[in-house]
Amino acid sequence: MKPKYTSPQQFFRQRRTRMGIVFAILLAIYLGSVFLVKFQTFSSLAQVPAGLIWLFKTFIPNQHTTTYLGPIFYQLWRTLIVSISSTICAAILSLMFAVLGAKTTSPNRGFQLTVRFGASLLRNIPVVAWAMILLFSFKQSDFTGFLALFFMTLGYLTRAFTETMEDLDAEKLQALQAVGANYFQCVFCGVLPEAASTMTSWVLYMIENNIRDATLVGLLTGTGIGFLFSQYFKSIRYDAAGLIVLLIAVLVIVLELTSTQIRRAIA
Amino acid sequence: MLKVNQLDKTYGQDKHSLKSVSFTAQPGEVTAIIGPSGAGKTTILRSVNQLIRDDGGQILLDDQDIRQANKAELRKIRHHIGMIFQNYNLISPLTALENVLHGRLGAKSTLAGMFGLYSTAEKTEALALLAEVGLKDYAYQRCDQLSGGQQQRVGIARALMQHPKMILCDEPIASLDPKSTKIVMDILRKLAREKKLIILINLHQIDIAMSYADHIIGINDGAIVFEGPTAQVNDAVLQKIYRQATEQKAKVAANEA
Repeated sequence: MKPKYTSPQQFFRQRRTRMGIVFAILLAIYLGSVFLVKFQTFSSLAQVPAGLIWLFKTFIPNQHTTTYLGPIFYQLWRTLIVSISSTICAAILSLMFAVLGAKTTSPNRGFQLTVRFGASLLRNIPVVAWAMILLFSFKQSDFTGFLALFFMTLGYLTRAFTETMEDLDAEKLQALQAVGANYFQCVFCGVLPEAASTMTSWVLYMIENNIRDATLVGLLTGTGIGFLFSQYFKSIRYDAAGLIVLLIAVLVIVLELTSTQIRRAIA
Repeated sequence: MLKVNQLDKTYGQDKHSLKSVSFTAQPGEVTAIIGPSGAGKTTILRSVNQLIRDDGGQILLDDQDIRQANKAELRKIRHHIGMIFQNYNLISPLTALENVLHGRLGAKSTLAGMFGLYSTAEKTEALALLAEVGLKDYAYQRCDQLSGGQQQRVGIARALMQHPKMILCDEPIASLDPKSTKIVMDILRKLAREKKLIILINLHQIDIAMSYADHIIGINDGAIVFEGPTAQVNDAVLQKIYRQATEQKAKVAANEA
């Protein structure tokens, strides 16, 4: 059905009314929830500056903190390695699953459904839950952290790779079929080169993401930078804990910048 | 020689796409299929190399029925039928040279094809073919950095790499400017003349068909309404080919008013 408007003025008036209604609904939801939880917007906001000042005073590293740098860098390095290795291992497996599961390349519908279901199962279990479940079987070790990140990444990347392959122009693959290429040749000479740069971006993104998650996982598995953070935190060495937070942020930013450079180079 | 006999294709329940289509295309000639949009031009072309599975009939290329071939035979037959497309359909992050070499995939073992293990002779031939279509200096360029006309010429080189008996061209110039159109059509005509190839080409530009084709097949609503040498095509014939399209347009216009 074609929408009918008598004049442009009427069209824009209707659009403004619609935007107004959406805004009013959002405001009503906010006010309703404020009332329900008895949240006091203004007095809460007033506490924020004081809280931040306390945070800065206690967590700012001082000249004494540098003595902790050795163990911090060591654990940061281990965390980085676990994140990268779990992402790479998951990426290799995801690539195989994605080829089997993507509509464009899947041998049959059974594979499609299995891959889709498996990936969404792995992805929808939070990484913290993975770590806790795996703790029972693998105890407190780097390997438990590795596996937790691996399973979640496997789910994410399989989904991302599958969608990348399904977004490819099916006609290009038809062109290879027309040449006389068989299934494996179509996948290797057509699908993979076309999807490579997007898939690399996904892998880089997951590495960044896994550094952040590894910190959290480390708290539970008793390894890596996350565990060191909780140790310092619990023993009231706040300056050292603050230094860790700072260094994690620096590491993630450096990784982001590097991966932007890599992405630009391969695009 | 390509001989198509009583080819049928039905999409869905009762929408006939091709109704008993028969025609021949000779080596050394440019054969153009013309007709209104949705008449079935693409369906015919893609049935010839079985990218679309038809419902009945015969497709004889040098007396071998393509429709009877099994998977391995079909791969061999396809290896000798080149195809170029409106959207070029090259693998865009790869270089022109790699795309031309893809023309050898039908003749290579699975593994050699997968990992791009081409012989020196194959690489030399691919470079020579790029030179033949005027792209000698672009061999190592990524295909997404080439213009439309250049990409289409890479497509032609890929088809030639197959040592084809026939090249199918699905609206090869629909996205090209007049200058590139002339270059591409000149190459196709030269290939028909010099290499004695069957050039079967879908066109919706009547003027191009009239000036380049030797043989014209007019199709309307899935059925052939004209087949003959280009010289026989006159206004009456064209009206017959595009008849229903004008009638339908009139009907749609009447409905909208």
